[in-house]
Amino acid sequence: MSKFRGAAAVVGIGQTPYYKRGTSPDPELKLALRAITAAAEDAGIDVRDIDGFVSYASERSDPAKLMPALGTRNLRFASLAWFHGGALPATLNLATGAILSGQAEIVAVYRSMAESSSQRLRVVVAQNDTSSQYLVNGLESPAQILALRAQRLMEHDGVPRSALWATVQASYHHARNNPHAYGRNTEMTEEIYENARLISEPYRLFDCSRENDGAACVLVVSAERARDLRQKPAYILSAPMGTMEGGGALEENWRPYYGTAGHKELAARMWAEAGYGPQDVDVAQVYMNMTSMGIGSMIDHGFFTTEEAGDFCRFENLIAPSGKLPINTSGGDLGEGFIHGMGLIPEAVRQIRGTSVNQVPGAKLSLVTGGPGDIVSSTGLLGSEETL
Amino acid sequence: MMAYSFLQHKIMGAIEADDEYWRWLEEGEFRLPRCASCQHWTWPAHFRCGRCGSWEFEWTAIAPEGRIFSWTRSWYAFDRVMERKKDVPYITIVTELPAAGGARVMGVLTGDTSNVRIGMAVRGTIQPPSAKTKFYPSVTWEIVR
Ligand SMILES: [Zn+2]
Repeated sequence: MSKFRGAAAVVGIGQTPYYKRGTSPDPELKLALRAITAAAEDAGIDVRDIDGFVSYASERSDPAKLMPALGTRNLRFASLAWFHGGALPATLNLATGAILSGQAEIVAVYRSMAESSSQRLRVVVAQNDTSSQYLVNGLESPAQILALRAQRLMEHDGVPRSALWATVQASYHHARNNPHAYGRNTEMTEEIYENARLISEPYRLFDCSRENDGAACVLVVSAERARDLRQKPAYILSAPMGTMEGGGALEENWRPYYGTAGHKELAARMWAEAGYGPQDVDVAQVYMNMTSMGIGSMIDHGFFTTEEAGDFCRFENLIAPSGKLPINTSGGDLGEGFIHGMGLIPEAVRQIRGTSVNQVPGAKLSLVTGGPGDIVSSTGLLGSEETL
Repeated sequence: MMAYSFLQHKIMGAIEADDEYWRWLEEGEFRLPRCASCQHWTWPAHFRCGRCGSWEFEWTAIAPEGRIFSWTRSWYAFDRVMERKKDVPYITIVTELPAAGGARVMGVLTGDTSNVRIGMAVRGTIQPPSAKTKFYPSVTWEIVR
């Protein structure tokens, strides 16, 4: 039995509102402080006792800047998981490793973004990371690069456009019940979706996530400590990171998988470590940088095959409370707001607690996937006490 | 020594083992790297062959002929490729090259693109450096009728 499985749990969640990109009233660092203090309050933990800090991608609110304002007593562990949104669940891996090895006791996993203060976001995120092979040929945005994979998934592998629409429809349907969702009032019909402007074929506007300003944080502690705290723990059953041979920085030369997400072996490791399979999952927060990539991730996780995608990805199957696989129940990256996926972990935790605005009754196993198509990615499974 | 345009406009930040690719293109030849020891087509270019451990590569000339592996038509002038604003919408393809072990290269599709489909045969033409290609040489592709 894995030592990792169930060794740690998420016991606190904190989120700022989502703001339209570039309109946050607070700079990025202040957003990070707000999210971390909110998570500590939620957990009933003195924020000064947080001794571990983990983030990912191009996070700029580093713990050195945070600790004076948090009153941090002893910073014992700090780490950044490599790559972009792919690293999202890998943060839980790092936090669990630090706790399991005695390097830290209370780890804040967080992400903060605000264009107004850092001018970063898409362009700066991508800088020094895009090879001349792309830029010389008119490709620079993830939307364009992932569109190549979407075209292959759809035209060659036969995933229908209706599957992409179903994920958009489910996301906005869930967002409507979420007072914190940035897209809660966005009118969304198939006509609007299909007539939205083309971005990079086959993607239209609503196939693409759009970055918001905002911050989110979850607190991770040992399973033992979690049992004494005020919230129902969401145990981390498995959160592997990595990629197989044939993945990595291969510039459209990925093999054997191209159109999906590169999550196949990761997911297999996760199912093996957790002792569960796709059929056991109650609810999934699927990272949707782009619609088709989220579908690719679900294919790689074994929820359905490319051939079954059209049948499976129907509105009624993807929504709470009783769909076959309710996804993105807060609205997700498309409907709630996009801070490189960090909103997905708090929602996965709320489903275990039973406090989601689109609750799946009795949810025990809650999946959160990392950025699909990122050159190294991760995926994570959270469970209630009875899943241990 | 030739003053290569791309070296004077170097794009930094990726693996950057592909200088020879651009150098040969600027000299009018389409060449891809092949491991000098195990003959594996090592593309994208890297510094060491991950299969056999060799550090030597032979930049091998091949005919720019292949099939469309995937494609996208860009409908927006994205920030870092603003040079192509006037060309929007334009199509970039991924070309699979059977003569190079199935290595895939990217390039812009020119000519009649209205029926573009995955699997179509394409032929490449080497283009000199221009502002549109960030002063790098490039290969544009055309569907073979
Ligand atoms: Zn070799």
